[in-house]
Amino acid sequence: MFYVALRILLYDKVRSLITLLGVVFAVGLIFNQLGIFLGLMETSSVIIDHTPGDIWVTSKNSKNFDFSQPFPEYIYNHTIADPGIQSADKLIVAWGIIRQKEGGTEQVEIVGFNPDSGDGGPWEMMAGDPRRLKNGNFAIVDESAMKRLGKIQVGEYRDVLSHRLQIVGISRGVKSFTTAPILFTSFVLAQRLVPYMGSDSTVFVVAKVKPGVPVEQVIARLRGRLKGVDVFTHADFSMKTRKYWAIETGVGFSFMLTIVISFLVGMLIVGQTIYNSTMEHIREFGTLKALGANNSDIYRIIFSQAMINAILGYIVSLLITVATVKFYELGGMVMVVRGWVNFLVLGLTLLMCLSAAFVSVRRIKNIDPAILFRG
Amino acid sequence: MADPIVTRELAKIYREGKIEVTALESIDVVLQEGEVVGLFGPSGSGKTTLLSILGCILRPTSGSISIYGNEVANLGEDQLPGIRKRFISFIFQGFNLFPALTAYENVMLGLKMKGIAGQDADRRAQAMMTEVGLADRMHFLPRDLSGGQRQRVAVARALAADSPIILADEPTGNLDYDNGRKVMELLKEMATAQRRCVVVATHDNRIEDLFDRVLYMEDGSIRQEKRGSA
Repeated sequence: MFYVALRILLYDKVRSLITLLGVVFAVGLIFNQLGIFLGLMETSSVIIDHTPGDIWVTSKNSKNFDFSQPFPEYIYNHTIADPGIQSADKLIVAWGIIRQKEGGTEQVEIVGFNPDSGDGGPWEMMAGDPRRLKNGNFAIVDESAMKRLGKIQVGEYRDVLSHRLQIVGISRGVKSFTTAPILFTSFVLAQRLVPYMGSDSTVFVVAKVKPGVPVEQVIARLRGRLKGVDVFTHADFSMKTRKYWAIETGVGFSFMLTIVISFLVGMLIVGQTIYNSTMEHIREFGTLKALGANNSDIYRIIFSQAMINAILGYIVSLLITVATVKFYELGGMVMVVRGWVNFLVLGLTLLMCLSAAFVSVRRIKNIDPAILFRG
Repeated sequence: MADPIVTRELAKIYREGKIEVTALESIDVVLQEGEVVGLFGPSGSGKTTLLSILGCILRPTSGSISIYGNEVANLGEDQLPGIRKRFISFIFQGFNLFPALTAYENVMLGLKMKGIAGQDADRRAQAMMTEVGLADRMHFLPRDLSGGQRQRVAVARALAADSPIILADEPTGNLDYDNGRKVMELLKEMATAQRRCVVVATHDNRIEDLFDRVLYMEDGSIRQEKRGSA
């Protein structure tokens, strides 16, 4: 039956091409939207995900990584005093203004971390060394920031919040969901730079639990002892940040809406073309029934047509998507194309095409035998 | 052994809302092996309805119909394909060949629907295509064949599976006289040689002489029966 389906598709070349283009368009859009959405989600928690540490202590009701409030530094002391904690670091994430070379300003997200441990700092360097951030007005910018800040070289100076900072390194792969450039400094410098921070405040405490000690146990203890802050596992805070950007800002909804619309458009295109093809062959299908074929024999031809459209459309879309990942990167965007995403989209494509074929199946089920006898 | 087709008091009434149209009434026929029967009558006389019921495509409103001793009037939709698969093949006026498949593939597909596949199907399809005189056109698409050749493919498809009952609806309707007659002669020759029971619904009086028996229908009833000269 697969062979018959393939022959029908090859016979109706123009229609098959239109169907294929429709599937490619719909599946490409699903790949694109899902990939960009997941890219944004990964970007939103990229620093959390690259920061070693089992526990994140944040200000009370903190909703995400980017907009957390400062809290007193003594919380750090209480945290590290817990018998289950091996080590901890303070981390500042705050907003600042950087002056452009040619005038004008840009908003930047300042991440102040401990250069000795490197936790919370850049994880991949194109130039320079994060340890150079110690003992001075030094900063590291990410290469992705150059689109907004212009070409920056190690050694040059930039004014940040009225402080003159020397750029001592260029990192790679650090992007923020807000698209603001990320600027890494030492924790101490960040405290000094950000006016509302104060010399005894931090925005996060990131702690590592001793080997063999259950993280949940330590978290429960910290939650009981620490007042005015929230305590999360690493994974929970990452997810909380992603959920904030995906759900509370409506970004996720708009992406999902586009995915649903793409799915429906694809379903309509495939459904309509398979239905038209079925209607054109209705007498032949009726004849097969007359010869003794069960409905299921004919359904197999129709579903095979849908399956062929789905697989071919999916492969072409995947190839186009893989080819365009670099193109998106050049535009400063991250598109996630991974095994599980590919399988998910394959599943959606099959669902889209096979469900589209159901209209035709219903038609076959109700073939009026009289059509067989009309000349 | 039971006769291929026996009907008793067969009737078909179509209902649309409160309106009832009697398409067939009191049809009693016995069709035998090796017999080629012509079903004649004007449009609306019930030929096609009778053919549909004989072919287990349509169920009668009342009466009985037996196919080789199997009472089929009350069989469900899920059981009728089995009867058709085992006993019945069709030839239609419009040929109803898959345009995307070659003549040979159309015959093969018909065989597959009858549960015959593999080398046996291949052997039968090739032999039948040769018998209908299309050995050199086996791999042609229907669009590359003439009307007469297409109907020969349909005949090959109907006969290849050894179905003991062949039902044909206006098989010469889309053909000119010469081609129509050739197709009917071929069908008769092969069916008679293989002891098939053939029923042909037709308007074409010019082929009346090819039938062993002719049934004239009018207003849903068989008005006259005539033994043919064939």
